[in-house]
Amino acid sequence: MECSFGLTGKDFVLLAADTSAGRSIIQMKDDENKIKALGPHIAMAYGGEAGDTNNFADFVDRNLRLYQIRNHTPLLPAAASAWIRRSLAESLRSRHPYSVNLMLAGFDITDSTSHLYWIDYLGTKAIVPYAAHGLGQYLALSTMDKWWTEGVDKREGIEILKKCVDEVGKRSTLKFKFNCILIDASGIHHINLDSSDPIAEMEQAGKAAEVINPNPPLDVGITA
Amino acid sequence: MALFDQRPAYAHEPTVAPIEHRFSPYSDNGGTILAIAGADFAVIAGDTRQSEGYSIQTRYARKVWQLTDNATLATNGFAADGKNFVKRVKQRLEWYEHAHHKPMGLKAIARMIQTMLYGRRFFPYYVYNILGGIEEDGTGAVYSFDPVGSYEREACRAAGAAQSLVQPFLDNQIYFKNQTPAPGAEAFVPGRLPMATVLGLVVDSFTSATERHIEVGDGLEMYVVMKEGRQTTDLTDEGQLPAGMKVEELGSMGEGRGEKTFLVSMPLKRD
Amino acid sequence: MNAVLQSLQPPARHTNEDEEDAWGYGNLDQRGGVRGMMVPRVPDPAAFLNLHTDSISSNPAAKIKLAHGTTTLAFRFKGGIIVAVDSRATAGSYIASGTVKKVIEINPYLLGTMAGGAADCQYWETYLGMQCRLHELRNKERISVAAASKILSNIVYQYKGMGLSMGTMICGWDKTGPALFYVDSDGSRLKGDLFSVGSGSTFAYGVLDQGYSYDLSDEEAQELGRRSIIAAGHRDAFSGNTCNLFHVRENGWEFIANYDVNELWYEYEAKKKAGASQAQAQKDEGMAVE
Repeated sequence: MECSFGLTGKDFVLLAADTSAGRSIIQMKDDENKIKALGPHIAMAYGGEAGDTNNFADFVDRNLRLYQIRNHTPLLPAAASAWIRRSLAESLRSRHPYSVNLMLAGFDITDSTSHLYWIDYLGTKAIVPYAAHGLGQYLALSTMDKWWTEGVDKREGIEILKKCVDEVGKRSTLKFKFNCILIDASGIHHINLDSSDPIAEMEQAGKAAEVINPNPPLDVGITA
Repeated sequence: MALFDQRPAYAHEPTVAPIEHRFSPYSDNGGTILAIAGADFAVIAGDTRQSEGYSIQTRYARKVWQLTDNATLATNGFAADGKNFVKRVKQRLEWYEHAHHKPMGLKAIARMIQTMLYGRRFFPYYVYNILGGIEEDGTGAVYSFDPVGSYEREACRAAGAAQSLVQPFLDNQIYFKNQTPAPGAEAFVPGRLPMATVLGLVVDSFTSATERHIEVGDGLEMYVVMKEGRQTTDLTDEGQLPAGMKVEELGSMGEGRGEKTFLVSMPLKRD
Repeated sequence: MNAVLQSLQPPARHTNEDEEDAWGYGNLDQRGGVRGMMVPRVPDPAAFLNLHTDSISSNPAAKIKLAHGTTTLAFRFKGGIIVAVDSRATAGSYIASGTVKKVIEINPYLLGTMAGGAADCQYWETYLGMQCRLHELRNKERISVAAASKILSNIVYQYKGMGLSMGTMICGWDKTGPALFYVDSDGSRLKGDLFSVGSGSTFAYGVLDQGYSYDLSDEEAQELGRRSIIAAGHRDAFSGNTCNLFHVRENGWEFIANYDVNELWYEYEAKKKAGASQAQAQKDEGMAVE
């Protein structure tokens, strides 16, 4: 069973995903990263059918990279979400559809807005201020409904996310560990949810908390 | 046309029997095969009964096939698949000989059989194969396969209908399982039994299986592959073979190193 | 005009699906890639396979019984990787073999374990060995464990839903040190420190998790691997017979030994009893002094 959350704020967007991996009743791993950075300001949390998940995430990653190489600019969150949704919709109508649910989070540096997209394996896309996949849908959407307000700041956002994680911990028979990132104008950062003040910790860590952009701009230089 | 006035009863009945649309290209033709490796020989054996359900289709259908001077293959399961598979193996062996001017070694045949079986992973040959013969280093060897190609070299293996009757007997007699040497006697070493003993075990396996399994019987064919240098008399000498055996030396199939293959056959109970 | 053009075309290459297994390593094309294997012409080949074989374990009545049931484990520690497996293969409730080699020696520095379909593991891990060798020849350096395991997972992912069944651990030592990956026929590929796969894996985990530490000595680690397989062989009816133990170090893997599960279990029991009676004796002695 899986669980992930996404939440937007004034100048940032948060993504959290559980870190378990296994087969049927056996948990084989408790530190599997299921959030993938796709560009300097864009990342996705994914889950679903074993095998499909990683394969589709790699597929998205490589294609966004290709776009960036060809156009010398990364795909903005809105366009990326449309491309990903269409990929899933086309896959659904193929012989071997991907069974992957995901949440795409991005920060648009051109107009300084945060974006969150909820996408499922059927190719359903919803533009949402906050969202959840898996168990989180049933246990913590109401939590976010109650506490989230327009324009929450980073600390408030983290507090809401912590409430969600607490709720899942309280009401689910499964134990989850969560992996969390924050995207803002300066890039993608790791967030330690166990910390008493994750934002302060993140700011203090500076570079160390940064998620390395897998798709840095190409320094092509002068070619003959 | 009086003959047609009275139509047979079945002609009036509408065909209401459900038509099965499931594609089922398999059958089980019973029988049992077995192979045992010695230090410098191998025995590959099979009964000759072929049946389907409770009907005996034939009392003589071969299940054991000489492939080269040093390799013999036994097949069991679905007879049609088995025949077809052996045909293709022989074809590949012929191509190999044309290309390389030498017969394929036993180890290579085993690997080839794996890839041929696995090539049909999604539409398997319903065949259990046991390959026996002489390895390039001169040792007797047995390779056993599952229908989709997993294989292993072993000292002995039984497969087919009476596998569960014969294999425990072989475990006891060949691997000395659950036997304790008498105090002071030397420890058992598997794989060192003399040929006469091994042939005796094979005959006992099949006569016993025939007694207790309806799909086993009619005839027994034992192919004996011997390392070069061993004499025909090793087999035909007094006391080497149980009584009532027919021995036939099979001619060389090509430029081998002089391994000899014999077909030793005997009748089994036919009821 | 079309007729003229058509007559100028070279004749269509003669293809006969039945001859497709004519050459190459089973199903490789001339360039060494994996070519389509023969598939029955039915609407749902996977359902056909499931009807006639017990490859997905859901049809015990199937005619074609493939080898199943296993306990395998591998873990990373400071001295390398310990790989331990049992040797039993079952077809239904019949023990088809008690001498199966469930550790596949891909090459002198890579090991793969076998759980699920024996043929699937044997065949594809042998194929992986070929790909690893080609990597060496092309790149003049050994393939990383990560890359090797990804080749395998990409292959089996292509066949997803067709009925392949394998749960394997790829173990080796590369530039990054000891590395361990779990790859299965769903297409999952996990990097980790400790895995156990097969019907007896839960029992193996039970011993393994309690004794595991990265800082184990070589002897302690080997004993832990061995003890875990014995525990699984004792509790899981589909596992047992013997235990094969391997140790992967910087300069390749080493086969440690083959142990009889039954004999070793009695040995452990005797030790446990001796330990208990010794402890009791000490306790009694202590009371006597008081």
